[in-house]
Amino acid sequence: MKKRALRKEFYMEIRRSLGRFLSIFFIVAIGVAFFSGIRATEPDMRYSGDKYFDDNHLMDIQVRSTLGLSENDVKALKAVEGVGKVEAGYSVDALCMKNDSQVAVHIMSILPTLNTLTVENGRLPEAEDECVIDADFLPGSGYQIGDVIQISSGTDDAITETLTTDQFKIVGTVSSPCYISFGRGSTNIGTGSVEGFISVSEDSFKMDVYTELYVAASGAKELIAFTDEYDERVSEVVKNVEGIKEEQQKARREEIVNEARSELEDGRKELEDAKKKAGEELAEAKKQLDDGRGKLNSGREQIVSSRTELENSRATLISGQNELSANCAALDAQQTELNGKQAELNVQKEELNKQQASLDVQRTPLEEKQAQIDIQREQLNQKQAELDQAKVLVTQLRSENEGLYTEVATLTAAIENLQTEISVLQEELNRLDPGILEEAERIEELHALMSEKTQEMGTAQTQVDTDHAQIAANTAVIGEVQPTLEPGQQQINTGSAALEAAQKELDKGWEMVNAGQQAIDGYWKQLNAGQQQILDGQVQIDAAKAQLEAVRIQIDAGWVQLTQGESQLAEAENEIAKNEQALNNAQKEYNTEKSKSDTKIAEAEADIKDAEKEISKIENAKWYIYDREHLSDYSGYGENADRMRAIGKVFPVLFFLVAALISLTTMTRMVEEQRTQIGTLKALGYGRFSIAAKYWGYAFLATVTGCVLGVLFGEKVFPYIIIYAYGIIYRHMDTFVIPYDLGYALMASLTAMVCTVLATVFSCYKELREQAAELMRPPTPKQGKRVLLEQVPVIWGKLSFTWKATIRNLVRYKKRFFMTIFGISGCMALLLVGFGLKDSIFNIGVLQYHELQLHDGNIILNTDASKEVQTAAIQELKKDSRVKGTAMNLLKQVEIGNGKEWKDVYLNVAENTKEFSDFVIFRDRLTKENYLLDDEGVILTEKMAKQLDVEPGDTIYMKDDVKGEIPYTISAVCENYLQHFVYMTSDLYEKGYKEAPEYNSVYFAVKEGEKDQIQAVGEEVLREEGALSVSYATGIESQLDDMLGSLNIVIVVLVISAGMLAFVVLYNLNNINITERKRELATLKVLGFYPMEVAEYVYRENIILTIIGGLVGMILGKLLHRFIIITVEVESTMFGRNIDISSFVYGFLITVGFSVLVNAVMYFKLKKIDMVESLKSVE
Amino acid sequence: MSGFVRLKEITKIYKMGEIEIHAVDGINFEIEKGEFVVIVGPSGAGKTTVLNLLGGMDTATSGTIMVDGSDITKYSERQLTGYRRNDIGFVFQFYNLVPNLTAKENVELALQICKNPLDARTVLEDVGLGNRLDNFPAQLSGGEQQRVSIARALAKNPKLLLCDEPTGALDYNTGKSILQLLQDMCREKGMTVIVITHNSALAPMADRLIKIRNGKVSSVERNKFPMSIADIEW
Repeated sequence: MKKRALRKEFYMEIRRSLGRFLSIFFIVAIGVAFFSGIRATEPDMRYSGDKYFDDNHLMDIQVRSTLGLSENDVKALKAVEGVGKVEAGYSVDALCMKNDSQVAVHIMSILPTLNTLTVENGRLPEAEDECVIDADFLPGSGYQIGDVIQISSGTDDAITETLTTDQFKIVGTVSSPCYISFGRGSTNIGTGSVEGFISVSEDSFKMDVYTELYVAASGAKELIAFTDEYDERVSEVVKNVEGIKEEQQKARREEIVNEARSELEDGRKELEDAKKKAGEELAEAKKQLDDGRGKLNSGREQIVSSRTELENSRATLISGQNELSANCAALDAQQTELNGKQAELNVQKEELNKQQASLDVQRTPLEEKQAQIDIQREQLNQKQAELDQAKVLVTQLRSENEGLYTEVATLTAAIENLQTEISVLQEELNRLDPGILEEAERIEELHALMSEKTQEMGTAQTQVDTDHAQIAANTAVIGEVQPTLEPGQQQINTGSAALEAAQKELDKGWEMVNAGQQAIDGYWKQLNAGQQQILDGQVQIDAAKAQLEAVRIQIDAGWVQLTQGESQLAEAENEIAKNEQALNNAQKEYNTEKSKSDTKIAEAEADIKDAEKEISKIENAKWYIYDREHLSDYSGYGENADRMRAIGKVFPVLFFLVAALISLTTMTRMVEEQRTQIGTLKALGYGRFSIAAKYWGYAFLATVTGCVLGVLFGEKVFPYIIIYAYGIIYRHMDTFVIPYDLGYALMASLTAMVCTVLATVFSCYKELREQAAELMRPPTPKQGKRVLLEQVPVIWGKLSFTWKATIRNLVRYKKRFFMTIFGISGCMALLLVGFGLKDSIFNIGVLQYHELQLHDGNIILNTDASKEVQTAAIQELKKDSRVKGTAMNLLKQVEIGNGKEWKDVYLNVAENTKEFSDFVIFRDRLTKENYLLDDEGVILTEKMAKQLDVEPGDTIYMKDDVKGEIPYTISAVCENYLQHFVYMTSDLYEKGYKEAPEYNSVYFAVKEGEKDQIQAVGEEVLREEGALSVSYATGIESQLDDMLGSLNIVIVVLVISAGMLAFVVLYNLNNINITERKRELATLKVLGFYPMEVAEYVYRENIILTIIGGLVGMILGKLLHRFIIITVEVESTMFGRNIDISSFVYGFLITVGFSVLVNAVMYFKLKKIDMVESLKSVE
Repeated sequence: MSGFVRLKEITKIYKMGEIEIHAVDGINFEIEKGEFVVIVGPSGAGKTTVLNLLGGMDTATSGTIMVDGSDITKYSERQLTGYRRNDIGFVFQFYNLVPNLTAKENVELALQICKNPLDARTVLEDVGLGNRLDNFPAQLSGGEQQRVSIARALAKNPKLLLCDEPTGALDYNTGKSILQLLQDMCREKGMTVIVITHNSALAPMADRLIKIRNGKVSSVERNKFPMSIADIEW
């Protein structure tokens, strides 16, 4: 109540000095935000990781066994205490093509609930021949969803012994909680490193036993991954699992041994069967062989008899042939005779024909005369016939006339009858009266009748007339012909008599001719008989000829048969020879078969014996029980969280310290400024507490609000940015769990409050202790002091007056001096760390691949292929005109150790040390001294040497499956950043491993200007069968850049924070400085200093402070950088320890830049200083 | 040539929100070269404002100030700074020495920037500090400090020496000796000295006495026979 005025004054104070209030507020906010934010990042990373793993049901424990795991094991595991869930799965490593290289992939079955896959694209497999593929592997692999991926085992066994198919259709891309980053583990096939994973359905595997069992530990899910609680819980369960291990291992062995035994028994039985069968088969073959031989012999006999027979028939044939020839000759003689007779006969025939001809000449006139006579007789006979005809005609006509005369008489009588009848009728008519009806009718009738009779009478009359005419005509003809008949008859009679006489004469000629004819005909008869005889002879001869012909045909047929027989015989002989050969072959075959079968049986028996021995040698199964640490990159995430914790321990503290100091200075200054007011209040009688409360309250309010804002902002934003940044590495972990961490919030806030409030209390206490009167007076001014430099007049005397003033000022305000140095050096250090991290981390690619490992690419040879094939690939590479050089080497992963600890490194054996030294530079990181690879010892890379705590001269051991632990002396430790290597010569390798190295890798470099051709060179070599894969330095370099990219954001955060810090600090300090020296500056102005001169007066100090701060910051930054690099480093890489000169320059320039910026702002503030100020009394 | 320094109708109005405060309200006076001028008036009369205007530390709202023939009211900021630098010497009530510099260095601070300075050592010897050259202000008494302050002002060889209550923070005797020093400087070096004080007892020592009241000149008196400060008691 009574202090209302004071309270009002408090609020007024804040309003009046809002700048100061805000500066405390912000510096606290930044400090607290950074402190609590960065600190909270570490647990937040764990929370986020845990959430992701829980969401995807990542297994806690994995059990693998050298002999596989059976249902039995599953059952046993389920019964183990603490085991919540057990799921069994299959997996196998296989090779597939990625672009042109063969790479290894891990194929695993999809589990029912554990290790849930997140589908990024497409869908999960539904069929046996479908798969989903690693979302990180697919891009750039040349595959697309929907493609078919062909896989092979990479060993002698076909992949199809493990899987149902060797071709899978890609149906989607997935991410797995087992693979949170880029690492996919290693394998013993292909290049040795797994490039990606493929998930398929369980049905795609056809193995008898599971390859691994996954366990979810009960109660582990509730715990946060990467914490001790979780690790303890899991290791408890692991211990329980270890408990059943022994028993299960034995049981599994029993299972296998039993199985093998029964298999062996089967084998033995099979062998017996085979033996028996082989015996039988051999016997059968032998019998067949003997049969064949018998048959061959009988065949041979048969041929001999056939040959005799054939000879006989040949003799017969020859005699027949002779006989035939004789007969033929006889027949020919007969024929000749017959031909002679025929000729004779022909002559006679000629003669006869001549006689005939002369007779025919005599016959011709006879025939002419005869013909004349015949004509005349014909004429006579014709005339006779004419005459006979005329006689007949006359007779005929006379008889016709007599017929006509009778007819006329008849007709005349008919006419007279008719005339009578008509008269009768007329009379009746006349009697009849026409008036009487009946009579009239009769009249009528009578009239018709009368006309009819009249008509009849006319007709008859006509006929009579015609007949009379006819008779007359006939009589005329008769009269004409009758007289000629008699003379004609006489004439004919005379002609006939003459004719008869001529005929008689002619007939005499005829008689003569006919007699000649008769004689000729008689001759003909004789001739014909001769002819007949000849013909008969001919027929006989022809018959004989035909007979002979038949005989000849027979004989010819006989010959043909004979020839056939002979060729048949020859064939038969051939066949027999052939058969004999075959038989001999068969015999030989039989012999070899027999011996083969014998050895086989012997071998099989030996095998069985071996197998028995082996079975007895089967060791217990070996269980490997892994927790999540075994998953690639899982522990890396935890390490990253740890790294954040390390960063969180250093950086924020630095920030915080600066922030606390700033608030302290500010508050101290405030109290000092208000000295008079405090004195006044004191004089008025206010208690110490009431007075001090204002300042505490002021500081408290600014700090608390700053803390609240800082915590609210920092604990959300910083973890988010950093976890987001890590998302570049852990790109599938998309969960952000960023709770407010009360612990860190309170820690930061309380520290901030304690700092500011204590600082306030302290300054208040100092002031309040003084007497009121004292307070009312200006404070005794600080004594000017001589600085040490003044003792050196050589320098001091040369300094201009203003520099003297500056130096004295610097020394005088020690608090400000140190605060500013601290602020600036802090800023510089942070910047240097930021840039330095970039240098050390981003440079490792350049250092590694441009200064240490100079190969542009590395061809991995196909060691399964023959030496020639491999050499062909190397030749192909060497032949390429773009290639500058090659070096053959052996590159394989081995375990090395110092006797206690064991680590994985790459063993790199040079075939040719000289060639090799063109590709790998061995040098000391600091002295840059170059080492040579020789037979004295191995060269180990730096980080590994450090990890194993070994030095040159010490002995390291290399683990080998066969040779055990091979000791080697370290001759040198060389600079190296990526991976760990141990280098040695081939002789040294041979000495230790007792065998020549089997080179599997060829480093190569391309000529300058052909660097863009590396890929092309690699592709060409890869076409060779002898090359398995190729890797390019540029590829690894860019991959590395990706991986480290996330740190970039952290660096940006650092740089920005550093900048903000620097600005706030410098601004605040300058502000204080100017306020404190307002009077002095005003005086300078009054004295006539131009604004720039006034500013220079102040700036000079700032410049010196900035330079000193910068230099201190460089040292500080270098140390801090060193510390952070070592904490941030991952196991397999060594980051550079260097900070580039340019980073120092940039860091310094940025620091100076901030300083200049602040000073520029200050310039206006300086300008605003009122000269009237100088007239005021000192407060 | 009428007046080395001439103020004509000078007004200075401060605006405090709605209210206008007429700190100086139409002042007119002239000062001859080599005069020892005392401006006297009660607190809040506007003396300091007049001094500030004369010293080029502030600009008048209206009116003209002629110094050695130049109208400084027309000066730009930079010209004003040059004016202060070369033409004006200032002696403050609280000395305003740079605590981190020795007496000699404090003087040198001023010399460094002006055109034709005097030798620091000589000036300091003149003000009687020949044996305290290398002492820091904190090691000097108030009077000694003021002497350094005066030395600093004088060393610039200014046209005008402006002193704002030079004895305000000093005890009686020291104050007297300081005033004596100022008077001596005026007499010996012919420097025009203007002393502002609320102590009217100093009036007799002035060649010209200007009384200011409520922002106006109430009277200007010429004193033909100024007294030595030693003879003045108050």
